[in-house]
Amino acid sequence: MRYTSFTSYDVVLLAQGLGVSLALFLTTTVIGLLLGTIWAVIRFYRVPVLSPLIAVLAELLKNSPVLVQLFLVFFGLPALLKINVTPVEAALITLSGNTAAFIYVIAVSAIESIGRDQIESARVFGLSRWQVLRHIIAPQAMAFAIGPLTGLLVNQLQVTSLISVIGVVDLTKIGNILNLRTLKPFIVWTIVGALYYATAKLVAFGGATLEKRLRAHSAWKGL
Amino acid sequence: MIRARGVRKSFGSAAVLDGIDLDVHGSEVVSILGSSGSGKSTLIRCMNGLEKLDAGSITIDDFDVSLPKDLAEARKRSATVFQLFNLYPHMTALQNVTLAPIQVLKRSRAEAEATARSLLDSVGLGARADAYPAQLSGGQRQRVGICRALAMNPRYLLLDEITSALDPEMTAEVLSILAQLAKTGTTMVFVTHEIEFARTISSRIVFLDKGQLVVDLPTEEFFAAEGGMARPRISQFLSKMRKD
Amino acid sequence: MKPVSLLLGSRLTFDVTILAPHVPFLLKGALLTAEACGLALVGSLAIGFLVAALRTSSSPLLSRAAFVYVDLFRNIPFIVQLFFFFYGLPEIGIYIDAFSTGVIALSIAGGAFSSDVIRSGILAIDPGILEAAEVSGLSKPVIFRKIVMPIALRTSIRPLGSVFINLILTSSILSTITLNELTGSAKIVASDTFRPFEVYAVLLVVYASLTYLVSLAISALHRHLNRDRMPEVA
Repeated sequence: MRYTSFTSYDVVLLAQGLGVSLALFLTTTVIGLLLGTIWAVIRFYRVPVLSPLIAVLAELLKNSPVLVQLFLVFFGLPALLKINVTPVEAALITLSGNTAAFIYVIAVSAIESIGRDQIESARVFGLSRWQVLRHIIAPQAMAFAIGPLTGLLVNQLQVTSLISVIGVVDLTKIGNILNLRTLKPFIVWTIVGALYYATAKLVAFGGATLEKRLRAHSAWKGL
Repeated sequence: MIRARGVRKSFGSAAVLDGIDLDVHGSEVVSILGSSGSGKSTLIRCMNGLEKLDAGSITIDDFDVSLPKDLAEARKRSATVFQLFNLYPHMTALQNVTLAPIQVLKRSRAEAEATARSLLDSVGLGARADAYPAQLSGGQRQRVGICRALAMNPRYLLLDEITSALDPEMTAEVLSILAQLAKTGTTMVFVTHEIEFARTISSRIVFLDKGQLVVDLPTEEFFAAEGGMARPRISQFLSKMRKD
Repeated sequence: MKPVSLLLGSRLTFDVTILAPHVPFLLKGALLTAEACGLALVGSLAIGFLVAALRTSSSPLLSRAAFVYVDLFRNIPFIVQLFFFFYGLPEIGIYIDAFSTGVIALSIAGGAFSSDVIRSGILAIDPGILEAAEVSGLSKPVIFRKIVMPIALRTSIRPLGSVFINLILTSSILSTITLNELTGSAKIVASDTFRPFEVYAVLLVVYASLTYLVSLAISALHRHLNRDRMPEVA
């Protein structure tokens, strides 16, 4: 490609890239939250076979590079199952799974922070397991988990940048495209970095606000 | 000598030291008594330069602790033992004692270790030289603290409530070491609650009250009925401390 | 060796033995990963201690500057930082190979994370210990080297271990700047053998085992550095 300088259309490109990154981030966060929480609940109920299987899976996902997980899904799965996996599908699967593994860890320690005795005393009062989960555990675990959760999400936002490597046209991929076209790496990567930074700060701010609100809520309930 | 003139120090609006004049001459053992909050510890912390004076001056052998260039020399001539020992937790007893001699006095390691070992021996810790602070009892830690101070071969030993954190048995083992030191002619400034002990080893007693030095008398006079005891504030304090 | 193959229906095969001829090549990649991570660990710790010292210093300007560095490099994706250096440095006349660029980028990012950990280790030091060091006449650099650094290091060895494990996982991203470390070599093997699933599945397990071994080593190091707090064996 012949190099050309920046055009006003590049702003649109950057906005599109940011949009793709954010859309994948939000989608995989929601799926990861659901999946991770379900895994934690399975562990809470000590479901045989599934429970240890999930523990191993979470360890593997937490302790291996996301890039390798992406390659496994994007290149590996189609070869193994003779199916077609698009870059976006691979990104969705990998990021959701990876987020779920970390959510699982946070959710498990949040549930543990409540203590079995409290749970057992609730059972003594005749609440069903589901009621205990819904009314005793969930609200407390939520208040406990929101801090680590915010940290995780700031991190997972950055992890989304890796999907550019398998060809998803996210913010980083747009950076690559602009970098090749303009040959002005410092400007391009500074702008891309600044956009990620601003988004990360927004996520952190949102988390902090939510935490404050949850704290206020639980303080009021305590009276 | 240590010379304090018009020393003032306040934290926020509270005046902790309110114009202190005090001279400590060579070979003297001066005990500083006073209720808690009287400013005793702050006075020691001003002497070793841990607190900045608001007004007045403190000199150690004519080196002004308020001047950065003098402070280093003043600190070489004095050494402090702390209430909470403040040993370096990652170093053995021996390393605690040798660090400053090697780094500040530029002694060779062999020389510093020989000195340290004989000091630790003299306080009954010869066999514990390679133990870490966490492995020692409170009394043992404070004895290491004393060795660490003595290893600098100081002219003046500043002792800041060194037995307050110890139980009576450990207090006794630490005080017996001080009694030996007093006999060797080491100059000491001793902030303490141990009135009976202060009486036995001090040559002078200084009494602080609300940041002011209200009495400065030779030990015998201080405890004499017509001397310090004649002052209601002191007899009150002493009888209260003896009761505790 | 008996071939370990798992038949999943007639069309699905999972056979890791096809990787055997490529093990030496992969080991070379693993060695490069180890080298890069080892160097980056040293770099991260050096930067981490320096920045932690600046952040805890009494100068508002220095501590502010240190904070900005940490905040930036913690909140921008590593791959963006890496591209910034990889494509940017030649632009200003600095020509270094991909390996050096990778080590530098890893050190800078790792330094930001380490400095946070080390900083809390420094802030947790009992001020009385520092006062004792100060009145004994030790100079500030000596106090930092002999007292502050070792105490902060031993209290923060576990969180530093997590930073290091993250560094190892992050090093896989160096494959995107033409560096054939472990992930880069695996990519080559995957395209040579047309067996990407086996390659990446094994790679995933290799990384997980590697980080598990590192975490064991960190626990041992933690116990060694804090051995004085363990009950003594008489």
